[in-house]
Amino acid sequence: MTTPAAEVQSPARSAAPRLTLGALLAAALLLLPFTVSSFWIRIATEVLLWAGLAQSWNIIGGYTGYLSFGHGAFFGLGAYVTGIGMTVLGWPFAAGLVVSGVLAAALAAAIGYPTLRLRGAYFAIATWAFGEMLRQVATVLEVTGGAFGMRLPAFLNLPFFYYVTLGTSALVYLTTYLLLERSPFGYKLLAIREHEEAAEMVGVNTVAVKVNAFALSAFFPGVLGGIYAYWLTYIHPDSVLGGIITDLMVVMVFLGGMGTFWGPLLGAFLVQLVSRSLWLVWGESTLYLVIIGAAICVVVLFMPGGIVGLLEGRRAPLLAPRAAWRWWRERVRW
Amino acid sequence: MELFLQTLIDGALIGGLIIVVGVGFSLCFGVMHIVDFAVGEWVMLGAYTAYWLVRYLGQDPMIYLPLIFALFFAAGWLIYPLIYRAVSGRRHHPALMGLVFTFGLSTLAKGGALSAWGYHVRSVSTWLSGQSVSLGVTTLPALRLAGFVFGVLTTVLFMIFLYGTRLGVSIRATAQDRETAALLGVDVRRVGALVYATYAGLTGMTGVLIGALFSIHAAMGAKYVIFAFFVVVLAGMGYVPGVIVAGLLLGLIQSFVGVYISGRYTLFALFLLMYVSLLVAPRGILRRGL
Amino acid sequence: MKPLRWWAICWFAGVLALVTVGAAGLVAAQQAAEYKVGVVTSLSGELAFGGNVTKRGYDLWAETLNKAGGVLIGGKRYKVRLIYADDQSTPATAAVAGERLITQEKVDVILGPYASGTTLALAPITEKYRVPHITGSAESPLIWKGKFKYTFGTIPTVTIIAQASIQTLAQDVSPKPQTIAILGIDDAFSKFAAEAFRTAAQRFGIKVLRFDIVPEGSDYTPAVSAAKALNPDIFAMGSHEKAAIEMIKAAKELKFNPKAFVQHYGMTTPDFRKGLGKDAEYVFGTSVWTPNLNYQAKILFKTPREYAAAFKARFGSDPDYTEAASTAAGIAFQEALRAINAAPPLTQAQKDALIGALERLDLMTFYGPIKFATSGDYYHDNAGLQPIALQYQGGVTVEVGPGKLRLKAPRYPTPPWDKR
Repeated sequence: MTTPAAEVQSPARSAAPRLTLGALLAAALLLLPFTVSSFWIRIATEVLLWAGLAQSWNIIGGYTGYLSFGHGAFFGLGAYVTGIGMTVLGWPFAAGLVVSGVLAAALAAAIGYPTLRLRGAYFAIATWAFGEMLRQVATVLEVTGGAFGMRLPAFLNLPFFYYVTLGTSALVYLTTYLLLERSPFGYKLLAIREHEEAAEMVGVNTVAVKVNAFALSAFFPGVLGGIYAYWLTYIHPDSVLGGIITDLMVVMVFLGGMGTFWGPLLGAFLVQLVSRSLWLVWGESTLYLVIIGAAICVVVLFMPGGIVGLLEGRRAPLLAPRAAWRWWRERVRW
Repeated sequence: MELFLQTLIDGALIGGLIIVVGVGFSLCFGVMHIVDFAVGEWVMLGAYTAYWLVRYLGQDPMIYLPLIFALFFAAGWLIYPLIYRAVSGRRHHPALMGLVFTFGLSTLAKGGALSAWGYHVRSVSTWLSGQSVSLGVTTLPALRLAGFVFGVLTTVLFMIFLYGTRLGVSIRATAQDRETAALLGVDVRRVGALVYATYAGLTGMTGVLIGALFSIHAAMGAKYVIFAFFVVVLAGMGYVPGVIVAGLLLGLIQSFVGVYISGRYTLFALFLLMYVSLLVAPRGILRRGL
Repeated sequence: MKPLRWWAICWFAGVLALVTVGAAGLVAAQQAAEYKVGVVTSLSGELAFGGNVTKRGYDLWAETLNKAGGVLIGGKRYKVRLIYADDQSTPATAAVAGERLITQEKVDVILGPYASGTTLALAPITEKYRVPHITGSAESPLIWKGKFKYTFGTIPTVTIIAQASIQTLAQDVSPKPQTIAILGIDDAFSKFAAEAFRTAAQRFGIKVLRFDIVPEGSDYTPAVSAAKALNPDIFAMGSHEKAAIEMIKAAKELKFNPKAFVQHYGMTTPDFRKGLGKDAEYVFGTSVWTPNLNYQAKILFKTPREYAAAFKARFGSDPDYTEAASTAAGIAFQEALRAINAAPPLTQAQKDALIGALERLDLMTFYGPIKFATSGDYYHDNAGLQPIALQYQGGVTVEVGPGKLRLKAPRYPTPPWDKR
């Protein structure tokens, strides 16, 4: 069943279909609000939001190898900064978003400096504790509305939020592509992930690189948090700072494929669309939790590379039309 | 003064129960590098098992403790191969694999409990429920006292096992250096299974007491994840004696902040302490962790 | 970056599209001459308990109405069909659920969620699509202060309800309690309840010794010990059922014995009674509705007692005020629809007319009078109901005040734990 190496396509041969596919995808994303009902626009906005969040997490978790379990903190910070900016300080939405992103990145740099010295599970638990601490702060403070939550002015224009989310998430992917896939910065991160001491020995300023990566991975969740707050018009410490936000980011990246460019996108599509589909069909049952839980376990056990691992794996060539046809012809005679 | 003593007792007693959850959790991390997200679900399942046993067989939930230990030991033993598969092999992040896998287990257990047993809040009561012992100016709730004694006793027995028996030595050896232990003839995989099963048994048993003290529902486990993390972080990961200190400290912080500052800052205080302690002393406040 | 094989992407997208489209197809709406009533409430997640409380109330309304033939419009009877959408106890899903019910299922009206947070996320959606929305449970003042034109509620806000038991204790027992300690759980509802206790205590001249807010799921011994040291006459707690049960357990263990325990909400739920047994005795609480009230109505259920009997026959437990209010939310819709003579499916003009009809509604039901406020801080809330103080006596809750609402005298002070 293994495919000979000769069958692996050369870049020249595969570039055309990929470009076509990319163009089709871009067109589909841009035209989507004109073709489907507002319910599906809402679902699509959610998917794009999560795709952006998952890729942001992937920058620090996948590419750098530091598993941040408190990334929801930056999302929630963005939501509250935009919320407070718009309701208390009277900022316009765009200003709120920029400030949210910058503050999230600044906070990440500030806590990243001491926290990034920790490795592995220690870093994971430290960021988790920090995230939960921030949730407690939001619950206790007066300006956030505490446990009463916070209402934002209502601007219920679904296509607007769709395009803003699409733009931001596209920016996340563009940044990741340019900075992490196509620049020395990306190689430095990779070096840190694979062997931090060795990276330091060959002259990588690991501290600065790690802090930069952490700040970058916090900037976009801050912006997306701001969009989310204005979109939903109501935020609460549990809904924007709850552990589930981080958990979902991790699960999506993990299902899609850690440290891969397309993994977070595929993971976000899969998790969000499947969970919403389950919710649509079994709306009155809680079995969806069982299914999601079981799915996570199965993926860990049997496809640790995630979807990307599966699509690139040993059997993946069978998915190609020509190979599939040949496989079929070899086995079926008539 | 009266209030101070009472606060001290309240904190110490609840700390005793948390120690039992922490001991197994800490050892799991030490031996297998598993951060078990599903720790709270073991507590929840233990409590529900006690509830159903009492419901159908009657009697006091306390007499089912050994049975529940056996049941959960078996469950842990059966699940262990899966966890072993998740955290071993040539994969990117073994620790993350374990974390995500147990997160999946936790979602599964929570969803399963909610689907199967519904959303009602259940209670069990034991012959100790609501009883108390007066000690000078203070009141010692009997059930909490029993929980404390249970916690200390379990931990001491467990330490004797760890430090006094051959098997215990091989567990500690595995925790210190897995490869070397394997070279010296320790069956690392079996040690792992034993540790995980014991941890599941202990945590399930604690669930009975926790269920009797508080109330039983599908989401009750969530806060024990917090407690377990807190305890192992302060104790130093994988360092069992530190768990006692950290567990008591957790109970005391909860009760003193709750009484003298305000209950709403207790969680904040716990997380702050956890975060700072990781930055300042990642090997635990006793500096003996891994 | 290894470029992904394009056909692999196609397979992935194809499978995913199939799942999504399949799910969408499975729930495709069917047409019939009946009212489609969307229900957004919490059937899973943190608030599943409360979500199912509202579900029982809504179900009983729809079933009873359909058994009677439906709503009579222009000589023809139209049944109602409830279409549920779980909000998973999160605001985001509540918004998606509302969007789905309105744009996919094309529901005529919406019955709202259990909790205030999810209601606040749903209200802007119903506002945008101009679909009438009544909640039979959410009662946070924030909702009514938001002045949502399309959102109504049948329960008076917690700030009104919670005062009844304090008022009873201040006026109807002797010796009059002098001091109170108050504990609230850190969620919107419970915090409002705790603040309402404080306001009431100040109004009736009871000294507040301690006011504390603790996170959900705390160990309540510190709070109880701190209160016990102050020795208050009343200990009042704003919380949901879980915390209420755990607090009483902690109080008994520590032998904390104030002259009165006051709890809202939770003491009226069956889980409280079942979980605590004898220890539930003497606990005070509040409500806006009980089966013993003396309302005479004409629609669906003639008296509170009849409702309670029907409820017990259907679900095997006694109804709580939230369930009654959820049923009453349905009745409000049914009567407003009759008033404007609108047969299904409703046009947008009819939906707008329905808002007017709801605002004009002045109705007597088994649940009591329904009349939504049309201005002020309780905009569109059925704020006129009289809250009632309850106490556990002999294993059931009885009305003990305030004033002439009393059916039995409040038992005060509470005897020591071992004498209950």
